[in-house]
Amino acid sequence: MLALINKIKYLLRETWSGLRRGGWMNWAAISTVMVLLFLFGICVQTSWQLDALLEHFGTQLEVSVYLEPETEGREIQPLVAELPYVEAVRLVPKEEAWPNLLRELGITDVTAATEQLEGNPLVDELKVVATDLQQISWLMNRIESLPGIDRAVHLNEATDRFGQIQQSLNGVSIVVTVVLSLTAIAVITTTLNLIAIARRNELEIMQLVGATKTWIVLPFMLHGIIFGTVGAGLALVLMWALRMAIAQILTTQTGFLQFLTEGLTLTPIQLHLLPVIVVTLGITIGMVGSLFAIRRVAML
Amino acid sequence: MPLLSNPNRVSSRSAPTRPPVMVQLKAVSKVYSNRIPCLKHVNLTLRRGDFLFVIGPSGTGKSTLLKLLYGAEQATTGQVKVAGVDVGALRGDRLAKFRRKVGIVFQDYKLIPNRTVADNVAFVLQAQGRRQREIQRRLLPTLKMVGLDHRAEALPSQLSGGEQQRVSIARAIVSTPPLLLADEPTGNLDFENATQILRTLQNLNGYGATVIVTTHDRQLAMLSSQPVMELRQGQLQPLRGPTTHPPGYEQNLSGVANTPPSRTNSQGLSANTAKTLG
Repeated sequence: MLALINKIKYLLRETWSGLRRGGWMNWAAISTVMVLLFLFGICVQTSWQLDALLEHFGTQLEVSVYLEPETEGREIQPLVAELPYVEAVRLVPKEEAWPNLLRELGITDVTAATEQLEGNPLVDELKVVATDLQQISWLMNRIESLPGIDRAVHLNEATDRFGQIQQSLNGVSIVVTVVLSLTAIAVITTTLNLIAIARRNELEIMQLVGATKTWIVLPFMLHGIIFGTVGAGLALVLMWALRMAIAQILTTQTGFLQFLTEGLTLTPIQLHLLPVIVVTLGITIGMVGSLFAIRRVAML
Repeated sequence: MPLLSNPNRVSSRSAPTRPPVMVQLKAVSKVYSNRIPCLKHVNLTLRRGDFLFVIGPSGTGKSTLLKLLYGAEQATTGQVKVAGVDVGALRGDRLAKFRRKVGIVFQDYKLIPNRTVADNVAFVLQAQGRRQREIQRRLLPTLKMVGLDHRAEALPSQLSGGEQQRVSIARAIVSTPPLLLADEPTGNLDFENATQILRTLQNLNGYGATVIVTTHDRQLAMLSSQPVMELRQGQLQPLRGPTTHPPGYEQNLSGVANTPPSRTNSQGLSANTAKTLG
């Protein structure tokens, strides 16, 4: 136990002396990580908020399927239910829909109206609930290719749009995250390499007096992890500040924006999950950066 | 075998039974990538407690010879054994652990400039992952042995060249390695300091360490009474064997080695051996 504390003390001291050697290069590495994680965090957060907003708008997963006049809904219903991404299928027979429609139109005499039109003019309708918003257009195509189907309609245009925005946002955030991750790794590697060069005397002596490779490279690993953690911490502070500022602006608004605000709040789970994700990515980036640098260190 | 634990033994040559082999080179050749052979079919056997000077002009492969012994280079052909271990076969952590048994002194000292004398020496033990208590226990006696206990808190830049080299010797011996390699330890020093460094090394040899010293300074090597070999055109040739000691030298050295190590001792030693060398 005592020996372990000793070793940890040694590692921390070596890491600290490396940090001091780094000077402003440390800031270069930390700020790059910070910018990366800030943008990454914003993307994740926005994606979650759009999810919440979609929920807020109601069931965006429902598709209305209108059958051809002579087709019986009862026959088609099991065929549709077998399709992938289908959660549930509800049949709305025309006998049920017709009086409802007339009632909505303010006509009370159903029999008279029916006679006037020489029968019920409506067709059977299926209400299909999909499991996945992304797959709705695919599902609609499949349904329309079935026999006896006139057309499938996705009523919620707004949710469709949001789905598209979310999808392109996901694409953008993946590109941004990958590019900035590479940048951050490069900056961390360069910083640690410079520190290794500044300390090459010590590293050489360590190798000559029989320090194991692990013992030599662990301080560099720790150094990289510190970059990641501190960068993540700063990014979280920035994100928190931004969220506060936006909330401040939105609370003074009314109507639709007020409605938006409710959609934009994160759930408690998300509030806890976000720091975990950001810090994990930060530590990973720091470790990968130091691993690249360590290959150089080991060769010194 | 820690070299501090057996202060009475002067050298292997006075022991009745022959001590174990410490260094063995069997038909060792080394060719660098520029294809110029550096060592050609070198054979060498040193027993525990031996002392050897290897002389030769710069670039004849003296450093290479030592590098083979601490595993910084691999022999092209032949076998290098230290304390029974085939050094050429060691890699990674096994090589690291092996190097703890070999102390190395360099011409340019290789001290860490922003650490004190004590920190430079303790650094070795820290790098080896030793306990703080053990580091404390070893530090002061080692500094005393090289006569620098009063400069423990000085920075290398505040020391003379000779003192810096003694720090590097302290660093090499603080983990009490049975084999001590000194690569041109006097190369940057004036005669006075050079002889003092050699005396320190001989003193350590008196405590039982096997010591190999390389130097391009033939005169300096010949002044001492230790065996000398010359590296010429890749071959090791004995110039002087262990039998040709100047009369009284052994006695003189044994008297030195028997006194407890301290700063005054190292000064007393300098007076003592200066007589011998002079």
